[in-house]
Amino acid sequence: MSEHTGRSHKAQMVLERYQKKLSRQVVGSLVACVHCGNCTDSCHYVLANPGDPTYAPAYKADRIRKLFKKHFDWTGKVFPWWVKAGDVMTDEDLEELKDTVFGKCTNCRRCTFNCPMGVDLATFNRMARCLLVSVGIMPEGVAVVSKDQWEIGNQMGVLKEDYLDTLDWMSEEVSEELDDPAAVIPVDKMDAEIVYTINPREVKYDPRTIADALKIFHAAGENWTMPSEGWDMTNFGLFSGDDDLGGVVARRVYDKVIDLRGKKLVISECGHGYRSTRCEGPNWAKFDIPFEMESSVDTMLRYIREGRIKVDKTKNPDKVTFHDSCNNARSCGLTEPPRELLELVCMDFQEMYPNREDNYCCTGGGGAMSMSEYTPRRLKSAKIKADQLKATGAKTVVTSCHNCVDGLADCIRHYKLGMGVTQLVTLVANALVWDEMPAAPGKPEIPEGVPAEMEPEVALDPDPEEASASEEPPLAGKRIVVADDDPDQVIYLKSVLSDAGAEIIEAADGDETLEACRKELPDMLTLDLEMPGTPTKDVFARLRDELPELRICIVTGRPELRALIYDQDLRRPEGYLDKPITEESLLRNVRKVLETS
Amino acid sequence: MDLHTIQIIHYVALAVMMVVYAIRILWFLSFPAGRERQPPTGTGSVNSKAGIIYSWLNVASPKGMESYRTHWFLYLQFVVFHLGVVAAITMSFVIADFSILMNNAAVVLTFRVLIWGACAVGVMRIIRRFTDKYVRAISSPDDYFSVILLTVWFGVAAAAAPFGVPSLQAEGSTLLIIYFAVQTFFLLYVPFSKISHYLYYPFTRYYLGKSLGRRGVFPLKHTAGQPTTAGADR
Repeated sequence: MSEHTGRSHKAQMVLERYQKKLSRQVVGSLVACVHCGNCTDSCHYVLANPGDPTYAPAYKADRIRKLFKKHFDWTGKVFPWWVKAGDVMTDEDLEELKDTVFGKCTNCRRCTFNCPMGVDLATFNRMARCLLVSVGIMPEGVAVVSKDQWEIGNQMGVLKEDYLDTLDWMSEEVSEELDDPAAVIPVDKMDAEIVYTINPREVKYDPRTIADALKIFHAAGENWTMPSEGWDMTNFGLFSGDDDLGGVVARRVYDKVIDLRGKKLVISECGHGYRSTRCEGPNWAKFDIPFEMESSVDTMLRYIREGRIKVDKTKNPDKVTFHDSCNNARSCGLTEPPRELLELVCMDFQEMYPNREDNYCCTGGGGAMSMSEYTPRRLKSAKIKADQLKATGAKTVVTSCHNCVDGLADCIRHYKLGMGVTQLVTLVANALVWDEMPAAPGKPEIPEGVPAEMEPEVALDPDPEEASASEEPPLAGKRIVVADDDPDQVIYLKSVLSDAGAEIIEAADGDETLEACRKELPDMLTLDLEMPGTPTKDVFARLRDELPELRICIVTGRPELRALIYDQDLRRPEGYLDKPITEESLLRNVRKVLETS
Repeated sequence: MDLHTIQIIHYVALAVMMVVYAIRILWFLSFPAGRERQPPTGTGSVNSKAGIIYSWLNVASPKGMESYRTHWFLYLQFVVFHLGVVAAITMSFVIADFSILMNNAAVVLTFRVLIWGACAVGVMRIIRRFTDKYVRAISSPDDYFSVILLTVWFGVAAAAAPFGVPSLQAEGSTLLIIYFAVQTFFLLYVPFSKISHYLYYPFTRYYLGKSLGRRGVFPLKHTAGQPTTAGADR
């Protein structure tokens, strides 16, 4: 407690640091609001919580603005009550502020675009987050992720050996699939045209996107590389507001590109990663970038335009829609290239409304996916997104952001929309035409060794029924334990996998799972993360110890529980699937897992 | 107090307002401007300069903002209200220094229509500020007082307009004195209230437009014909 002001130490520190964060851009937004209320229904939190004005952007902004008025603005200093100027005196006041700036705003910037005055709430909301983080007041998830990014160098705490193992694994997979030993990921190659950086989520939960990128770069004949360090293009500094962290993380990536003498930095599909690395990083790091940077979306589009890769849109026949990441659309202007790409690689692209800079947040933005204390609030606000998705009638939503993949998957599961979520890199890889390879017997223009999911499913197969009748089911001879306590889920998984030829053994809890695996020695286990009996993390650990050959695919509707498995010092699961699962996604992933040696 | 005296006081108030505004701008410029280091993203017509111009003119293009596109009546109110402000201020200078112009009936009619329109919008805005749950939650005493002050000022100005004609000034001197007195108070109050928002408008939108123009966001692409809200701008 400060003797002079009566404020708590943390409150005093926040105020002292407030002044240092004031730039013209921020001050302009703090003084220009006229409380017209135009921004109110631009916010998905407001729309999902009718009648509660505490979610209104101007109301939330005033929680931060009142401090400015009280301490820096003329009228507020003299007549604070006249302009609702206010103070923070205690740690409880700061906790209240935390609830607003972290828990009621995803910094999506939609209100900014609907403010006649150009008040940029997202910018000073981020500033307020920074002030709170600087005194240790933040959601636990933000603290954990920030710590990982400071200390380990990436936001999911992926160790270097695990990262390199994953790249090796993907290289082996793709070179086997394409029957081409040159189809591998070059690591730390000097003087490459492209240095490709990714989101650690790809390493930890979704490595197939790395394999997909490898196929595209290989098909394009690109001189590319992935760095052994400085490969995480995400940046939690954007979410925590910590410019120092933002600068350090961005600089790791830039320095590695310079070390490798790379010509261009390509950033994989990630909204906040693209914004942080492409746009904000140079400002945080106070560093002028000596090389080019672009999103992988631009890269893929360029390859098609230049004829470096060929694609066949009939390979992606289902109706898809596109979700604009807030960071891509409202902060980076990346709205048209993904649409052009979708038109080239998909048969049926249905626009979602509203879209582009008017699109609604996936509700997982601004680091919300890491703040589990606000999950119920987030899922309630996701109703707006769910309505948007449902109205498209699409089977799959495509997005160019890993954060949005998780946010949308959560929304789809919570509102039971039965849609899949994917990214452009997967669709482009799936649509690749490998015409320089020899055709496989009995199928026109399809090279031997090309993965099954790349084969045309509609246009090029003259008689699918005849063809399927003459082929062995893809999972014939495989024995799979399906472990899930939800009977509906078991029925679904069992029917899809049985139809594909697999023999299914059911387990409804942890103990049954252990018993079934020990007794039946299956080829594979699909493991739900939340079952009664022996905790799943223990089931996983025991099976890794007792049956090291068993391939395990995590199947969960609660992605926040993934850490139970992935944070253990054990070999990671061979596969991972978010519920709800489409039939196509399930079969593709199970086949991939079973093909893993 | 006669009309001539209040007109002189009104000019003094204007001078005070200008001085305070100048100080206010210097205060604003004393804060550092963050530097944008990222390489420009936009090409062709998408750049910082285009972004700034788009940002400044954004308010004149209701199609560019969903909040106005879907609430066109609020946009209409906004336009009428601000035209009324310009008319009420202009009229005071015309009456004080160019009163011969008020002999033209069309000039008087234009002032009256614009200012009465703004007064009506002011009443609507007062009602909205008191009754709309969301607007009430964000309103301070300054917000209530400002809109009431402006609405009263509009009412007095509109009522005084017919007496701005030189031959009628003596007859309507009381109304004219009240009009100038209210405006004098208005000019002195403005720099310390939210009404001074227009002082910051060019700066706020300049920095937003500069940054988003450089990043290839502004000018928004959908204004070139691509709908973003189903049916809204088709």
